[in-house]
Amino acid sequence: MISEALKGVILGALDLDEFDLRAETVASEVPGWDSLSHVAVLCAIEGAFKVRFGTLEALRLKNVGDLQALVDAKLGKPTA
Amino acid sequence: MKESLWAQWAALAETGPSVEAVIHWVEDRPDQRWTRSELLQEAVQAAHWLRASGVRQGEVCALVVRHVPQFYPLYLGVVRLGAIPAVLSYPNSRIHPQKFIDGLVGMSHRSGLDWVLTEQDLEPVVRPLVTMPESTVKGVLLPPLDRAWPASGPEPLPEIQVDPASPCLLQHSSGTTGLQKGVILSHAAVLGHVEAYAESIQLRPGDRIVSWLPLYHDMGMIAAFQMALAMGVPLVQMDPFQWVSAPGLLFTAISREQGTLAWLPNFAYNILSDRLHEEDLEGLQLGTMRMFINCSEPVREESHQRFLAKFHGAGVRAEMLAACYAMAETTFAATQTAPGVPPALFLADRDDLARGVALPAQPGPSARVCVSSGTPIRGCEMFVVGEGGEDLPPGQVGELAIRSEWMFDGYRNNPEETALCLRDSRYFTGDYGFTLDDEWYVIGRKKDILIVAGKNLYPEDIEDALRGVEHLAPGRMVAFGLPEETTGTESVCVVAETDLEGDKERRALRTAILKAGMAIDVTIAKVFLVPPRWLIKSSAGKPSRKANKQRVIETYLTTEGSTHDL
Repeated sequence: MISEALKGVILGALDLDEFDLRAETVASEVPGWDSLSHVAVLCAIEGAFKVRFGTLEALRLKNVGDLQALVDAKLGKPTA
Repeated sequence: MKESLWAQWAALAETGPSVEAVIHWVEDRPDQRWTRSELLQEAVQAAHWLRASGVRQGEVCALVVRHVPQFYPLYLGVVRLGAIPAVLSYPNSRIHPQKFIDGLVGMSHRSGLDWVLTEQDLEPVVRPLVTMPESTVKGVLLPPLDRAWPASGPEPLPEIQVDPASPCLLQHSSGTTGLQKGVILSHAAVLGHVEAYAESIQLRPGDRIVSWLPLYHDMGMIAAFQMALAMGVPLVQMDPFQWVSAPGLLFTAISREQGTLAWLPNFAYNILSDRLHEEDLEGLQLGTMRMFINCSEPVREESHQRFLAKFHGAGVRAEMLAACYAMAETTFAATQTAPGVPPALFLADRDDLARGVALPAQPGPSARVCVSSGTPIRGCEMFVVGEGGEDLPPGQVGELAIRSEWMFDGYRNNPEETALCLRDSRYFTGDYGFTLDDEWYVIGRKKDILIVAGKNLYPEDIEDALRGVEHLAPGRMVAFGLPEETTGTESVCVVAETDLEGDKERRALRTAILKAGMAIDVTIAKVFLVPPRWLIKSSAGKPSRKANKQRVIETYLTTEGSTHDL
């Protein structure tokens, strides 16, 4: 389950009006989400949730669900 | 230097068999470290496998494989047979399979690919190439990339007689579909060039090159890979896909391997500065570096300054910053800044530059910091050419042209494109620039080409990809690039005519345009939907990219590079 807050930050960073982001969504399926904008997406999430992603943490992200789980873990929330 | 790549590699392996040649570096997994002799021994096994599979001298072998250790012996094995390797980009999941095949077909027609060496996953996509009408591809081969090469028979490989002027590799311009232009380089060109380029950066025995650059790109192939192999310095080669996910790995590799040289396109300086935090730098030591060489994109001083400010504490110093001007058509480098000295800067007035002169300016809104790309390397001559074809003196802006000992002969099977850029033994680059005090500055582009994250994109490719998008007026769209200060590179913009008026419908159209770009692996950053008959036509009756880019800037953008939300 992807939170509305995370969806909003991702879509905002990508300048997208709408896109059905699901846990299994991978970056290459989302318009505008490429290697360059990936940096902007991660920076936007770090800024919005006041968290920091380490190099290896970023490397292990495979889909939006992983991203949600990482944010939740950083915030001390149980993963949905 | 010996007469051929293989002879040069063999000579180095004889004098220093246990010297490291290539370190295949992957985070979280053990490195694969090849000494010179190990690499060549395995390359011979690969050559046996290739020969048994039918590959012969002079045939072009396209290598479409990911970052795997066996790539290196496979590549060297192709060279051992006297065949011609051409490294192509492995398609990511974003690109539509048919678009990928269209690109290969285009290359096949122009470049005459004989064999495609690839992975099991891609085989079903590539296999139809063999039976397509007029295809030059004889077969698709699946090298054993995850296991040892099969034992070869007792029969030795035939000795290959190599003319130094004969082809040793094939490079392709970026492009996305059928527009790639093949550049054939000879053994003499590659070996002569890397030797001259090595002089310009004072390459020395203790150097170690660290690179995340893809090997289908001339910067990765020539500056990192070929120079390391031919000059006998170790190459630490990272996975480009890992690097884009975690850019800080470059510094981890430099720190662990005591790297001294790295080539980076300008956007990488921004990505590293933006993405890495103080805690990521703990324990990293970048003080072994001699040069971070900025190349393949316009060099921006603000990117250098951000990089320097962010990583000074980890050992980066101003004198490590360097710049280079390079292209596949001249094998690689045309100019290079001197080691140990930051690139020269020239503050020019934008209006003066637009009028064709470079005059000193005072700091202010109209001032532009031009970063020198250095001086011509040995064997290269540079010219600034005016509209009438005349050579211009220092301080005047014109098209940059190059005469080089390591020039290509022309695009493979493409006399039309060759005639456009190769005249009187000069390569006309399509870039604008000037020279002053023996420094060479590249400031703009005559061609419509976009350079996004070091990758050349042709607007025609993007416009073609939009043809099938519903509710766009046929042929009434143009693609162009705009500089983005935050990313340090260009962003792809599309302006297109449509008669749709509803917000919902226009949002859906915008998404459809973005998806059409994705199908050719192009990220369209901005879409400007305009009413019918908005676009300005050129004298040829087609929408003019230059005029419409200017109209978009004047209509929608307050200052160049900063955008309103449309």
